[in-house]
Amino acid sequence: MTTRNDPIKHFFIWPALIIVLLISIFPLVYSLTTSFMSMRLVPPMPARFVGFSNYADLLQNPRFWHVAGTTTLIAFISVGLQYVIGLSVALALNSRVPGEGLFRVSFLLPMLVAPVAVALIARQVLNPTMGPLNELMSALGFPNLPFLTQTSWALGSIIAVEVWQWTPFVILMLLAGLQTLPDDVYEAAALENATPWQQFRDITFPMLLPISVAVVFIRLIESYKIIDTVFVMTGGGPGISTETLTLFAYQEGFKKFNLGYTSALSFLFLIVITVIGLVYLAILKPYLEKHK
Amino acid sequence: MSVRTLKGKRRWIALGGCLVWLAITFFPLYWVLITSFKTPIAVVGGPTYLPFVDFEPSLTAWRELLSGQRGQFFNTFLASTIIGLSASVLATGIGAMAAYALVRFTFRFRLLSALIFIVVAFGGFLLGRNVLGFGQGISLIYAFIAALALAVLSSRFRLPGPELGNNDIVFWFVSQRMFPPIVAAFALYLMYTEMGKLGFKLVDSYIGLTFAYIAFSLPIVIWLMRDFFEALPVEVEEAAMVDNVPTWRIFFGIVLPMSKPGLIATFMITLAFVWNEFLFALFLTNSRWQTLPILVAGQNSQRGDEWWAISAAALVAIIPMMVMAVLLSRLMRSGLLLGAIK
Repeated sequence: MTTRNDPIKHFFIWPALIIVLLISIFPLVYSLTTSFMSMRLVPPMPARFVGFSNYADLLQNPRFWHVAGTTTLIAFISVGLQYVIGLSVALALNSRVPGEGLFRVSFLLPMLVAPVAVALIARQVLNPTMGPLNELMSALGFPNLPFLTQTSWALGSIIAVEVWQWTPFVILMLLAGLQTLPDDVYEAAALENATPWQQFRDITFPMLLPISVAVVFIRLIESYKIIDTVFVMTGGGPGISTETLTLFAYQEGFKKFNLGYTSALSFLFLIVITVIGLVYLAILKPYLEKHK
Repeated sequence: MSVRTLKGKRRWIALGGCLVWLAITFFPLYWVLITSFKTPIAVVGGPTYLPFVDFEPSLTAWRELLSGQRGQFFNTFLASTIIGLSASVLATGIGAMAAYALVRFTFRFRLLSALIFIVVAFGGFLLGRNVLGFGQGISLIYAFIAALALAVLSSRFRLPGPELGNNDIVFWFVSQRMFPPIVAAFALYLMYTEMGKLGFKLVDSYIGLTFAYIAFSLPIVIWLMRDFFEALPVEVEEAAMVDNVPTWRIFFGIVLPMSKPGLIATFMITLAFVWNEFLFALFLTNSRWQTLPILVAGQNSQRGDEWWAISAAALVAIIPMMVMAVLLSRLMRSGLLLGAIK
């Protein structure tokens, strides 16, 4: 009985369907039509159909490419680090490190802190005169480091904050995945005298691949949406060097009220994310099927 | 003892690594906690680390915060709590119902019906606004109703084209999470403004923000709850059906109580998402229903380097979720979330 028929099923599903249709799909209709128009609120300008010119403007705007590049850089590096650290920690926890129970609880915490609060804490810790990190660096013989005021340091700081906040998610998912792996494979491997490295390379990693792919996918998509951390930590600065796609869209839409342009920008953003998602899945599909 | 347990030197290396990560995890949290107990002079004087040893703790920041000198903290906390709780309760409830229907019943419709919905929605909106000269808000409402009615009506006929089922509906729900929220947040702001012109105040209102959060939590609720329901033994429900218990009573009387752990976990995950959410609150509120993340972010620009006050403000946003984390981890230890993450 996986399926049965009863008119009441409509009563169960329609509330969710209607709400999601109303609030997440319908605005898209509105903003997609707006993206083909020239429309401003400040100064007020009557709406005018302009076809693809908003999109063309954006694609010719070096700022758009710069912002897209910055977002990609932040997303890929931080997710890469999250995966490496998360997998190591999950492996350690899964092999019954002493105090594992305590670690499990505390490793979860950063994920639940509001990103805005995390960014504020990061600003304090990275502060040039009052922050502890620069004092540590000075003690180690480095000069006072411009963590938030110089492009490469600012990008690094944002990535570090992302890693701090979201590695717990990777740990959580991979740990759950590790616990579902069957013991008998490892028993067989132990009989064959396989080294821990061989066990990891030939058993754990391949068997964990499906969930790894899913975790990295989720994190990658989520990282592309980053705004609050950047908004508070650097405000996109110095200049526009750490501005991300969402922050750029916010500036255009809410500061300049350039509606058509912002709608076009958000749709380009959607296309970028979809393309990255599809390419990612296409690249990994052969590996996933090989290990099935 | 499991075969996978590390032995000898490797075990200590793993422990060392975990301790390093623990220190990295805790230091920022510790730092914000002690900073909130520092006096202004102690903060400006350079970093200090241990209360009572290298600085005298003081309650200045907390006293200022609680007495309301630092903005409307009490109101904002209340708004965050009300919106967070009601949005997560409603999202969990509505999502659980939908997830249950998707697990236990079959839904079938043609791709063409979905296309009809999209085409009529777009066309109706453009027609209403540009040809018939309705306002934007009115056009939106009419087009939505017409599109929904036609799509439902069309599904009654035998349409050609591929047929879609339950998995496609689930995929559609979950794919909503892929959308960059800026697309929706910005459009929603404009739509709410249009509705405001018609007399429904949605910007900076309880209903507007709560509805947005419900809609954006539903995909994850449906995803999580579907796995919980799939793991439930179907025999109990079958036995009830033999006794002719109506479906709604099976759901509310048997299925929901059985999946209580799953419901609690889903509720908590949703609450954490809503509580910490920034972008929607930024677009859709401005004063009355502002939530904590917006207020906390605002401290940064308003107060400059008054870290003692900012730390206390940040902690107000952090502490409730920390309490929840401990509760959640207890659930996790019982292996509860395992099924959800397959």
